Amino acid sequence: MIGQIIKKQALVLIRNPVQLLLLVGLPIILILILGVALSSFMNGESPTIQVKLGIVEQEQEDAQLERFSEDKKGELPPAVLNQLDDILPIQRLKEDVFGSDEAAKYITLEEISPLDKEKVLDDNTYTALIEVPDNFTYEILEYSLLGEENQPSLQLFTNTEHQLGVSIVDGILKQFQEQLTLQTFLQEEAINPENLEENLQNVTADVLTLDQQVPISSKDYYTVGMAVMNVLFIASAIGSIAFLEKNIFVFDRIILANVSRWVYFVGILLSGMLFAFLHLVIIFGFSWIVFGVTWPNLLGFTFVTTAYAVAVGGIAVLLTALSYRLHSEVITNFFSNILVSLMALLGGSFFPLGDSSAFIATLGNLTPNGAGMSAYITLLRGNELSDVTDHVAFLLLFGFVSIVIAAWSFPKRGAAL
Amino acid sequence: MLELDGLSKKFKQFYAVKSLNMFVERGEIIGLLGPNGAGKSTAISMISSLAEPTAGDVRYNNKSILKKPGEFRKIVGMVPQEIALYTDLTAEENLQFFGRMYRLKGSILKKRIQEILDLVGLADRKKDVVQTFSGGMKRRLNIGVALLHDPELLIMDEPTVGIDPQSRNYILETVKRLNKERAMTVIYTSHYMEEVEFLCDRIYIMDQGNLIASGTNEEIKRILSSEKTISIKSDQLNEQFIAMLQEHPLVNRVMSTDKEITLMVAKEVSMFGDLTKLAETAGIELTSVHNKTPTLEDVFLHLTGRALRD
Ligand SMILES: Nc1ncnc2c1ncn2[C@@H]1O[C@H](COP(=O)(O)OP(=O)(O)OP(=O)(O)O)[C@@H](O)[C@H]1O
Ligand SMILES: [Mg+2]
Repeated sequence: MIGQIIKKQALVLIRNPVQLLLLVGLPIILILILGVALSSFMNGESPTIQVKLGIVEQEQEDAQLERFSEDKKGELPPAVLNQLDDILPIQRLKEDVFGSDEAAKYITLEEISPLDKEKVLDDNTYTALIEVPDNFTYEILEYSLLGEENQPSLQLFTNTEHQLGVSIVDGILKQFQEQLTLQTFLQEEAINPENLEENLQNVTADVLTLDQQVPISSKDYYTVGMAVMNVLFIASAIGSIAFLEKNIFVFDRIILANVSRWVYFVGILLSGMLFAFLHLVIIFGFSWIVFGVTWPNLLGFTFVTTAYAVAVGGIAVLLTALSYRLHSEVITNFFSNILVSLMALLGGSFFPLGDSSAFIATLGNLTPNGAGMSAYITLLRGNELSDVTDHVAFLLLFGFVSIVIAAWSFPKRGAAL
Repeated sequence: MLELDGLSKKFKQFYAVKSLNMFVERGEIIGLLGPNGAGKSTAISMISSLAEPTAGDVRYNNKSILKKPGEFRKIVGMVPQEIALYTDLTAEENLQFFGRMYRLKGSILKKRIQEILDLVGLADRKKDVVQTFSGGMKRRLNIGVALLHDPELLIMDEPTVGIDPQSRNYILETVKRLNKERAMTVIYTSHYMEEVEFLCDRIYIMDQGNLIASGTNEEIKRILSSEKTISIKSDQLNEQFIAMLQEHPLVNRVMSTDKEITLMVAKEVSMFGDLTKLAETAGIELTSVHNKTPTLEDVFLHLTGRALRD
């Protein structure tokens, strides 16, 4: 019975070439246009994002190290003290983090004398300025080697006109500092110079994973962006067909055939899920063949696609239930004409809006398309399924909640007229 | 077979159907007649168990269908006023889908679909998409779908609205045949009194949610036994003439179209002399004046003071 409903739903969709073209053809055209037009903006090979970054050191690290070695002679073994000039945090930041090949593509780091600080702050060509306060290295060493409470921090001055660059620098610094604060291992273990070296190498290595990911191209980006946006129209298409069924009394006929309204409900839900899944597979399949957008992790792709299809099915059945309840299609029209574009914008379908602020990024991930997009992009970068479980869980939860609300608002018997 | 007891449906403060009492015997064709907005469709959707009445009951074989409509639905075929079909699917695909909804399968369904297509005269168009059908063909398929599961009771809501006379006759003949050959009971809704007069054993007339008359064709016309109907024809009818008729003490009701005026007067009254005088005063020439045999239309006019159709 449910199978028959899904089959009929598919027939109705297929018999509408215009709608079909909009659902499948439009995203492909958009991928093409956006992918080509904006390739310079996105292209991982030769980024146009150039970050000019300044760093001001109020006090040279060498001097601080000398003081530290002098002061702590009694507390730390000489073997450790001798190793310290290899692990100076600011030097690592300058040479290994910002000086790495990956980072150097985007970031030019300039050392600024403290006297020029104000001048740099007024210079609009700089994206950000890092200020290393007095005694920073000394305190970091105290903090990580001797377990002092006081944890020093770097200060970052940012140019609000360079949002994208700022968020890159900010992200790198946050990770760097996080890694530094994780260095409490020395308090627990006996201090071993080899350990120390190894662990501090880990610090820089971890920071760098941010940039070592496979860069994604604009075609990759817009394939995902357009696919996650356009599949939302499957939900509204299903919702519209279902509402038409009520309007022309086909729904009444189904009810009179002693078919439970819940069978119909499940039919709508499953067709929404199934068609959304197929839609995503078609768009991504097409992009694979034509644009070479390949999925390193097919299992992950299948999981994300399934979870997103559940969410879209949830929306389809929710739109259906609400239009049945309100005897009107306004909700479905509002969804397809306005809400989808808004959600697509927030979710980053048109450009990486979330890069400009953490708040918008979070908000974007709270839309089903945004969550789907983040998950797909993460996978495209070569990450594992385990890196997207949050998004997958959110999508499933979103779908589930939509279904529950839909079931609750779907008119019960007697309201059929 | 079927009995409606004080059936009412209220939308907000307004009664679409008010205390409707009705009974249907097995094998009858029942007519439900009324102008637009009389409440026919509302009554039908309650009878067919789709809408819940605000008050009253519908009993099938002395059992209320309101709580558990399942058994009743099996024997009901419903032809909605709208074309309740998938216009993007072919005639055959529509029949297939609804047949599956009625749990018909395989060769039984196939055979049934062929029978229906023959019955409604669409066998040669079965592979065509419904969208390409004429209004009459759509109406016929709309009826065909309701017959798939061979119902005992067929409920039809204005099944001939907006179609050509040929399709209309075809439908009327089909209904008659189903009733004769398969002893199908029919409830037939319409605002065409000729259809109802032609088809129905008994008639219920509704207006503004109320039942205003019921009985056989003859019984209903007997309502007019104390009155007679006079038809006046002229090419020059004018307001003044109509106004004078309306004010005339012996005229009970006046109904006018642009070339014809229908008057109702007491049976014994003769109006000839007065009519010629009034026409002279109004400065018009009458082409004909004659007594009419009353129709259901006239009954409706008598009961409500309005025409059945506008
Ligand atoms: N869902 C509804 N909500 C409010 N009013 C309604 C609703 N359905 C019908 N009505 C009103 O009830 C009245 C009766 O409508 P109904 O459709 O039953 O008339 P009908 O006799 O079938 O007319 P028609 O010949 O035009 O089909 C109308 O005034 C209509 O506006
Ligand atoms: Mg009606």
